[in-house]
This record gives sequence, C-alpha cells and structure tokens, in this order.
Amino acid sequence: MKQIGTFRVNGKHCDAIIEPHMLLVDVIRDHIGLTGTKRACASGNCGACTVLADDQPICSCLTLAVTAQDRALETVEGLRSADGTLHPLQQAFIDHCAAQCGYCTAGMLMTAKALLDANPRPSREDVKRALSGNICRCTGYVKILDAVMDAAQKINAAREVAA
Amino acid sequence: MTEFAYVGKRLTKPDIYGKVTGEAKYTDDMTVPSMVEGRILASPHAHARILRIDTSKAAALPGVLCVLTHKDCPDSRFSRSTMAEALPEFAFTGERQDQYILTDKARYVGDWIAAVAAEDIYTAEAALELIEVEYELLPMILDPHKALEPGAPSVHDDVAGNIAFEMDHPFNSGDVDRAFAEAEAVVEFTGVNSRQKHLHLETDIAIAYHESDGRLVIISPSQGPHLAKKHLTKRVFPDLSDGDIRWLSPTIGGGFGARLALGVEPVAVLLARACKRPVRVTTTREEDFSGYSSRTDQHQTIRVAANKDGKLLAIEQIIVADSGAYLSHSATTATVNMQKTLGVLKCDNIRGHLTVAYTNTPTTSGFRGYGNPEGAFVFQQALDRLAEKIGMDPMEFRLKNLKVPGDPSCFVPVPLEHTKLEECIHLAAEKIGYKDKWQGWGVAKPGRYKRGIGMSVLTHASGAGGFLLEHSSCVMKVLSDGALNLIVSPCEMGQGIIGALAQVAAESSGLRYEQIRVSTGDTDVTMFDIGSHASRSMLVIGNAVAAAGVKIKEQIRDRAVALFAEHQVRVTPDQIEVRAGRITSDAAPGVAFDVAQVAYAAIYDFGSGGSQLNASGSYLSTSHHPNHQAAFAEVEVDTETGLVTVLNYVSAHDIGRAINPLLVEAQMEGSLVQGIGFALTEDFVIDPDTGRVLSDSLLTYRLPTTMDVPDMAHLLVEDPLEAGPFGAKGCGEAGLVNPAPAIANAIYDAIGVRIHSLPMAADKVLWALRHGEGAAPGGSRVSGQYL
Repeated sequence: MKQIGTFRVNGKHCDAIIEPHMLLVDVIRDHIGLTGTKRACASGNCGACTVLADDQPICSCLTLAVTAQDRALETVEGLRSADGTLHPLQQAFIDHCAAQCGYCTAGMLMTAKALLDANPRPSREDVKRALSGNICRCTGYVKILDAVMDAAQKINAAREVAA
Repeated sequence: MTEFAYVGKRLTKPDIYGKVTGEAKYTDDMTVPSMVEGRILASPHAHARILRIDTSKAAALPGVLCVLTHKDCPDSRFSRSTMAEALPEFAFTGERQDQYILTDKARYVGDWIAAVAAEDIYTAEAALELIEVEYELLPMILDPHKALEPGAPSVHDDVAGNIAFEMDHPFNSGDVDRAFAEAEAVVEFTGVNSRQKHLHLETDIAIAYHESDGRLVIISPSQGPHLAKKHLTKRVFPDLSDGDIRWLSPTIGGGFGARLALGVEPVAVLLARACKRPVRVTTTREEDFSGYSSRTDQHQTIRVAANKDGKLLAIEQIIVADSGAYLSHSATTATVNMQKTLGVLKCDNIRGHLTVAYTNTPTTSGFRGYGNPEGAFVFQQALDRLAEKIGMDPMEFRLKNLKVPGDPSCFVPVPLEHTKLEECIHLAAEKIGYKDKWQGWGVAKPGRYKRGIGMSVLTHASGAGGFLLEHSSCVMKVLSDGALNLIVSPCEMGQGIIGALAQVAAESSGLRYEQIRVSTGDTDVTMFDIGSHASRSMLVIGNAVAAAGVKIKEQIRDRAVALFAEHQVRVTPDQIEVRAGRITSDAAPGVAFDVAQVAYAAIYDFGSGGSQLNASGSYLSTSHHPNHQAAFAEVEVDTETGLVTVLNYVSAHDIGRAINPLLVEAQMEGSLVQGIGFALTEDFVIDPDTGRVLSDSLLTYRLPTTMDVPDMAHLLVEDPLEAGPFGAKGCGEAGLVNPAPAIANAIYDAIGVRIHSLPMAADKVLWALRHGEGAAPGGSRVSGQYL
C-alpha cells in the first residue's frame, strides 16, 4: 500500500512515495537520492548504513522508513556546513588517510559525530568502544581512531577560541 | 641524494574527498534510465541434477521481464578467474574452463539456477519464489581428501577422480631424498588455513545495458576490467568481440582479490541481452557468503631438514587444495603458495606437489597474498619446529638461511636481484625487544595469562613478470592551466594507487601534484592492463607513468627555450629545470615561469606549430621483483578460556622506496588487522550434513573490530630497487602473510602447544591445551567441534 512519506533529512523536508515494508536505508538512497549512506549487510552488523535520528546513531537498514518520519535525520551529506566547509571529522579523515575503499566511511563519520556531540573529550578507549559496531575491512582502524581523536581536539580548541 | 618534490611525501590521496562527503559513486549508487532489477535463484542443494524447471508462473508475474535458465545460456564454458587471458596459450593448464552462467546441475548450495529481470527488486524477488525446480539429489562430497578417494561422487562428469588440477613444483631441485636421509634434524608440520572471506563491504553487483550504437556497457567493481572484457567475449559470450564491450569500473567498495574473478557480470549481460533493457543485478550479504569467492583452503604437509649448525637442507611440501565446485583461482593460488613458501629461504633441495580437488562447496578464489598466507602459516611453524629440534633461536635460524642477490628467487629460476630481509629482521626485532622477550625453547610461563613472542618472514612479488602478461601503458595530456590528465588503468579499491601514481606522474613530469587529474576505470579510455593484483600496480603501472612523465618534461623544456629567449636569456633544454609546476634555469637566476604558460601556449597556438603537450608511456616487466618483510607478534593466551589476544605487532618491510609512506603504512595496518582476523576469528563454516554455509552473516562470521587492534609498528627499509619507479616495489598484499604464522609461533611460545588449523579460535586453543595438539589437528570446515 503506497503512501506519501514526509521526512526531515539534513534539515530539509522531503516527500517520498513509500510502502510499509520499505527500509529507511533504501528510501534515503533510492527515493531521496542521498547515496552517501551505504547498504552493506542489511542485518545491523556492519554499521555502514548508520545515520543519525534525533542525534542518535541508528542502523537505517534495521529501521522501517515509516517509523522515521517524525525524527530529525542526518546523513553524511549533511555533515558539511552550508558554505561547503568540511566538518572537522571529515577533514581529519582526509588528513589521516582514514578512508580506503570508503564504503564504511559514511557510517563511521556518523557514529563518530554522535559520539563527539555527546562526549566532546573522549578517551581513545571511548572512541574504540563507540566505533566497535562499525566494520571496516580496509584500514585496520588505526587511522580512523587517530582521525576521531584529532577531530575531537580540533573541535574543542575551536570552541575554546570562540568562548 | 636526489631531493624529490613529491616522492616519499605523506600526501593526501585525491579520491578521499568524495569518500568523506558521500559524493564518491559506487556501482550501486548509479542508475541508468529505464533500468530494471535482476536477481538470481540459487540452488538449495549441494549436489543435484535439475529434472524439471518451470518458469511460467514467475514469467507471468506482472512486472517480470524475463526468467532465464541454463537453456538460455551460451554453450561455452568459462572460469570465474580471468587469468587464462593473461597467460601464454597452453603455458599453464591450471585454468580449466568448467562452468556455465546458469547450471543444469547444482554443484554447491548457492550455485546459480535461474535469473530474473523485473521492474523492481520486490517483484524480482517474488518471481524467484515462483520458479519451480524439481531436483534429483546426488551424493555430495564436501571434503577434498575424501573427494580424491576412489569411488567418491564426481563433481564434474568429465573429470576423473575429482582432480581439478595436479602438478609437481615446476622448480623441483636437488636430491631431496638424500638430503632428508643425511640431515641431522627432520621435522614435519601439517596444517590448513580457513576459507577467509574477502568481506568487501560492497557486495557483488553489476549493471549491463546497450548504448545507442548497440555496444554493451558493463558497470561493475572489477579489479581488472580489460582482462574481464577479454574473458567475457572470448569464453562467456563468444558471439561478442572485444570491441563490443565498454567496461566501466567506478569507485570500488573493497576488493582484496575478490573482484579479480567474474562476479554477477555474466548474469547482468545475459539478462540485458534477453530483455533489451538496462539491468542491475544485486546480491545480498548472505548470497555473498554462500555464493562464491573466498580464500582456498590448502591442506599442507611440510617436511623440512637441517644440519646441526642450522643450515636448511631440504623442504618438501604436499598440498591438497579444495577448489570448491569450480576451479577459478584455486590452482594458481596453490602454485603461488609453492613458489613463495619454498622460495623465501635458501635451500638447495626442494620438492613440492599439489593436487586441487573439486568438492560440492562454494568456489574458492584468490585473496590478498594469493596462496602466500596459506603457505606461510604451515611453513613458518615447520621452521620453528626445526629450529627447536636443533636448539637454535628461531630468528638466528632464519638469519642463517637468508638468500643473497644471485640466489634463485621465489620465482626460480630467475635470480634474486635485491633483498633487504636481513635488515628487516634486525630492525623489527630491535623495535619489539625480541632479545629480552624470547626466553628460549620450552620455558614454562607462570600464571593463567601466558605471554609469548613469535616471528615470521616472507617474500612476495611486485607483479608476475615472466609468468603473466605483465605490461601496462598510460597516456598523459597537459591541460591549458598546467594540470595533467593522467589516463591510466589501475583499479582503485582503496589501496591508494591513484594517489601514488599521481605522485609518480608529478615527480617525473615536473608538474604539480595537486593538479594531477587521474582518469581511470573505463576500458574505452584507458590502455590495456591486466588489473590491480599481484602487488603489481606500483611497479608495472608506475614505471609506465614515470616513462610518460619524462617525455612531458622534455616537451616542456623544449618549448620553454622560447620563453627564456623572450627575456633575453639563451638556454638549451638541458639547462632548464621543471619542478612542481615551475620552470627555472640555473643559467638565469630570477627568471621563472609557470608550466601553465607553456601548456596554454601549446594549445592556443594559432600559428603552425600548435599541439597539446601529450605523451604515452609503456612498461613491460620480465621479472617479479620480490619485496620482503619480517614480522614479530607478541600475544597473551588466557589458559582458562583459550582466548588469544595480540598485544603488539611489529613488521619491517623491504619496500625499495615508499612513494607515499602514509599509504604504505595504511596498507600495512589494514592488512595486519585482516591478518589477525584470518589468524584468530574468521571461520567459514560449512554444515557437514547439508553443505550449507552456516557462517553467512557478519554476526556468525566474526571480523576484527576496533576492539581487536593491537599496538603496532610498521617500519620501512628503503633501498631503491633499480627496476622500480623511483625505486619502489609493490607492497599491497604482503601485510597479510605474516600475521597468522607469527601469531601461531607466539602462541606456541606462550603455551607450548601448536595449533594446526586456522582460525586459532578460543575453543580450538582451549581444546589443544587440554588434550594436546595431536588431538585437534583441525579441519577448516566445522567450528565448535572442539567444545
């Protein structure tokens, strides 16, 4: 039974024709057209499809699209600021070479963003634990952990300057 | 010493921006107007003949465009491995062409029976359920040893005794029997690796469609689209010619060797040709597990002999490899295992024999290291056992038997040109503190948590010159702003080759790195190349790029003479320097130009001499230029649970020269963690009663996570290789070879028990601790058997 779903993604309203069985990951990718979010295991075990819903990281492959209509969704495409400046996490991933094939990267970034928003000064152990549900087959995680730690430091430094 | 502008610098790779913004486009992110969705029906039986197949209900479902079976496939057989096209005709018989796209006889659970194209994915999946198949169940064979026994069920009717491939080591040498008879110490070690899955996060996928001129376009994450195109037209669809296909390989979501074999591309083409619509064929993660492509499990017995001074006198290696239902890369990986395993140390008496058996299990394939990690796991433990028998430090034992330039290399009979393995061993040993940590053989460790240290050494090729069609070419053109368009065909699966080649291009041409624009992944645009594998891209393609860059620089110098003349400076081309986009001359201090001036003038020349700066470069490799590595692992074993934790890992790599140390380090870190998974957790489990893959999700097949990353250091030993571009050797695969054997040797040092099969999971280690290693020789198929 088709219906019009209304979503709020990266601060914008988007309508999409959906059916009750449709997964959020497929609606975001195929109907809203934001293909940065990836579908890799479709069972909630790899984290590649992670998006934020009301600031919480969720697996969009385990979420029915209809249930996400009243939540503020954020995908990797929403990380950059309006003027195109990269989020400190994105810049740190570039600086540390923390993405190889890149298929896990969007999910990694979104999980890391949720962590830093909730815990601005994480220990390396905190970061390890937060990202333990995001599988990366290429990097060996070292550079990803380095990048998140670096981004945290830069966000905090910028905040202190602003204050 | 030459000071480079870009080579050796830790530069950002150009493709990473799109990966952190979500803009990079992978195959699944692409759509073609009027595209429909394709899905494949897989066999639920390990061995069954199709008696009747009725597709009428599926075909009648609204939205279904076509339903195809074996009756609709070309009558020519092919292999998933495309390597036959890179080998000289008849040079190597291990490339059996043994399968059809859709089969009339299922040879494993997951074998392809039928394919559907429909307007949307839900309809395609509904159609699969409406296909009626009546099977005649056949006796199945799941174990390679049993498959080789007389009277075993035949996997292929035209193959006697299930022997898919068999050969002696091509470089058998010396008098092995005599050496064993006269040696003072002889030991044997038997072991088997597991079928590690590539687990590229992007599952198998392909899009196929016809362009307006009738040509066929394929979009898929292939590691070698040129070779795949040749194979597809020569073997799979012989009615097509090489020029009928344009193959696009976009951003690839991980490869590790899996994309070296054909995936769902033949099905996509079959469907697109049948329904005359663009078709995208997708697979699920479960299908990726049960379908095909994993490391080949190679059951090995290795016998080694030495005299009491520690000279390695003889090696004998017997391999029984399990190809699964179709041959694919299993024969070639077993051959590479022999070459690398028997070729890493100096030994005059060598004998090897391999047999590849067909079984009713998913097809195995090539995986990073391509046989080398499989061999190293057994051989490096055999070496330790031999060192123990003669009472020698395992590091000293290896140092005593190192090859020097001039010895036969791992690719005998080509002589070894260059090795820095000795330096690697010393450097890594120093870094991890080996002298203090290794306490001698048989020293019992106190307490529940026991620590141990172990080592392993390797040699791996940079390309397979002399064996494969090992050449590559590139084209360069300089744009009007001084940017350089490098048209070249490595496949970027994340390894960073695009960035490294851009560094080589910038260095050799004298242009700016930030202005190198790489075009790749389109067989209509790039020159022929056999793909990204065998750690070949840096050396082979890099040399082609370096050669073209030199020509561009010459053209810039020639044209810059006139620029200097405009400033009343008379210089000859050889007095002109081009570096990082600037043109200067010692003969005219203070006068400098931007390359953009020359490039612009070349294009927008309304006189008679106008032509864009452009060049091509080619390189043919006739040798394999081995890289080397030594690695040490420190582990802790919980003797109450059997859990092994890697605490620290240090490798030192003989890399020739690192074009970009950041990227090399990234490769080593990634391959180490992949190697820790291979060593400790990644278990491909097949149900012995049904042949079904039980570890078919990321929940049941356990990959390392952030919590499994040990302290690590990857040291580079740089000594430029004469044949390498700016001295570089390949490195992509090497990091995955040493982890399993180094960890295995460290486990033995900790608890005095050797583990004979991978993964060395907690249950297996605990069983070996309680019952002795002889009680748990292990198989690669059944997990939990030790509980």
